[in-house]
Amino acid sequence: MNRTPDITPELVRSGLQKAFYLTTPRVETVLYLALALEKPLLIEGPAGAGKTEIGKVLACTLQTELVRLQCYEGLDEARALYEWNYQKQLLRIQADRAGDLEWSEVTQHIFSREYLLERPLLHAITAPHKVVLLIDEVDKADEEFEAFLLEVLSDFQVSIPELGTVTARHRPVVVLTSNRTRELSEALKRRCLYLYLDFPGVEIEREIIRLKVPDLDAALREQVARFVHGLRKLELRKVPSIAEALDWARALRTLHIRELDAPAIRQTLNLLLKHEDDLRRADGKIGSLLATAARRAV
Amino acid sequence: MKTRLLTFINMLRDAGLLVTVAEALDAVHAVRIVGVERSALQDGLAATLLKDEADRLVFDATFERCFPLLGRHRGKGQRPEPSGDESSSGAGRSGAQVRSARPQERPDLPASDKPSSLRERGPRIHRTQSSRSRLLIGRRRLQAIPFAEMSPQDIEGCDALIAELAQRFRAHLRRRLRHARRGRLDIRRTIRWSISKGGVPIQTAFRGRRPSTPDLVALCDCSHSVATASRFLIGLLHPAHEFFRHVHLFAFVDEPIEISIEGGALAPHERLDLYARSDFGRVLVRFLERHESLLSRNTILLILGDARNNRRPPRADVLTRLGNATRRLVWLNPEPTERWNTGDSVMNTYERACDELLAASTIQELHAALRRSLCPG
Repeated sequence: MNRTPDITPELVRSGLQKAFYLTTPRVETVLYLALALEKPLLIEGPAGAGKTEIGKVLACTLQTELVRLQCYEGLDEARALYEWNYQKQLLRIQADRAGDLEWSEVTQHIFSREYLLERPLLHAITAPHKVVLLIDEVDKADEEFEAFLLEVLSDFQVSIPELGTVTARHRPVVVLTSNRTRELSEALKRRCLYLYLDFPGVEIEREIIRLKVPDLDAALREQVARFVHGLRKLELRKVPSIAEALDWARALRTLHIRELDAPAIRQTLNLLLKHEDDLRRADGKIGSLLATAARRAV
Repeated sequence: MKTRLLTFINMLRDAGLLVTVAEALDAVHAVRIVGVERSALQDGLAATLLKDEADRLVFDATFERCFPLLGRHRGKGQRPEPSGDESSSGAGRSGAQVRSARPQERPDLPASDKPSSLRERGPRIHRTQSSRSRLLIGRRRLQAIPFAEMSPQDIEGCDALIAELAQRFRAHLRRRLRHARRGRLDIRRTIRWSISKGGVPIQTAFRGRRPSTPDLVALCDCSHSVATASRFLIGLLHPAHEFFRHVHLFAFVDEPIEISIEGGALAPHERLDLYARSDFGRVLVRFLERHESLLSRNTILLILGDARNNRRPPRADVLTRLGNATRRLVWLNPEPTERWNTGDSVMNTYERACDELLAASTIQELHAALRRSLCPG
């Protein structure tokens, strides 16, 4: 098992660089704080801005495992913490029946770790080294789950009735993400450090495109960055994410499009916008967006 | 430094931000780690004390007051002022927030004890506000303005806010449908599930009782003073129409006219005279005459109006009949509560006939009133 490297700002910065995650100094400061203070980090922001990615980057930086818990409506303790493997236990009981065992001997067998289905939270608690626990889209889970999460996050301790209390030897680094579809409970927010992650500005987005789609022409790259930036300002149902912008850049490269013009955009716009209403709304604005993008791309 | 920090926290509390003792302690630890370099200090304090991006403006202003930028401490190695592009774009982020993204040229993150020079980063306020952040702050303000005080620009700006609230309303309705009350034990499913467990009924199935989908009939007062509220109400109700069996929307001033939404615009089925004088009594009578078939035990009837009847007969008996014919009768009043029953308002006459009377003088109240009246129903 790797020893976790020491937490320094340089570590955070180099980790972000190595993962090609370009961002602002504020994000670096907050990440560093979260690691140094050992507090959970709550990241809110629009969908597709790179919140989940931060969890993965942190795992790479700390050279450790990423344990991911994807939240959904109706998520409960059984799917998040642990569950007994009933089928296996029953099979064991059936098999033991022939052996004529005492009940105490039977319990010894079937209530052991072997028959415990470890879900992400328990996995993070019992890990032999420090892991990164990413709880994704916590706003999709309901309030009961939040209360349960609060309890787990405060002590990192689980009581399994048959096995006893399990305490974490190394507190995992916890990252929670939320899309702001509902207000999270005050108690949870108070416990975490807060970061609002928005879409990057034009310069940063341009550099992201340069890193991820290297053989795209520089002038085209600038136009792409400005066009997507302008597109995000429109009233859309779903604003294009960074990943979609990169897909679009790759598509332009594959189609050998040298310069952005209205027909080229119309041909490929469905890579950026995934809703019919958005496509229609953007269709009318293509001209003005292009003009703005071209004017500033010197 | 500690006293300064405590002063800062108290100023935040005075400004309306809720800061708990635990967060204050975190802030002290954070300052110890990130040092006192101004931008890092601001980021560190924001991470521990600011828990909602909508409060960003207040936080930044308070930070400015408490830790003012001293002119003579301009740092070396500063980034040049952002080019005209970014600042002229207005809504876009100030270029100062955007770092040069070439990885090797990143400025050092100060965490050591040596106080490094303050980095000049352009106008402080603009630095921390991205367009979306400003949007959130603006929305919070819009939510709390009473309808009567809204300017035309405010009303324009509310459309996006209404769309977002409508989505939240839908999410709430969907959750209500999911949490069906637990019914009786479903023997057949329990036995079927027990087969995979060797005949032992470990998992029990219950016949969940789904709350029935109600019908919705909404009457919106479109007279001058209340028109904005009606517009927002329709904006909130329309996207949620799939959670109700039948939805009928009516606009009225002195006559109930059915309206439908076509392509994002309201289309009245008949001509609606917006300049008539409100006559609730007549509206109720006509509604009962023409549209009584729409009402059933499963219908929720929403009426949005200020109950200002211009001294005409209120016909509360008709309202009682409507209330008896439907599952629930909810009255939403967009006036502030102090103004009810003043002048020609006949609110207390109508109140007796309603199952629920809710104040809805701001968008926030309107949203809360809708959730309260439609969700448990």
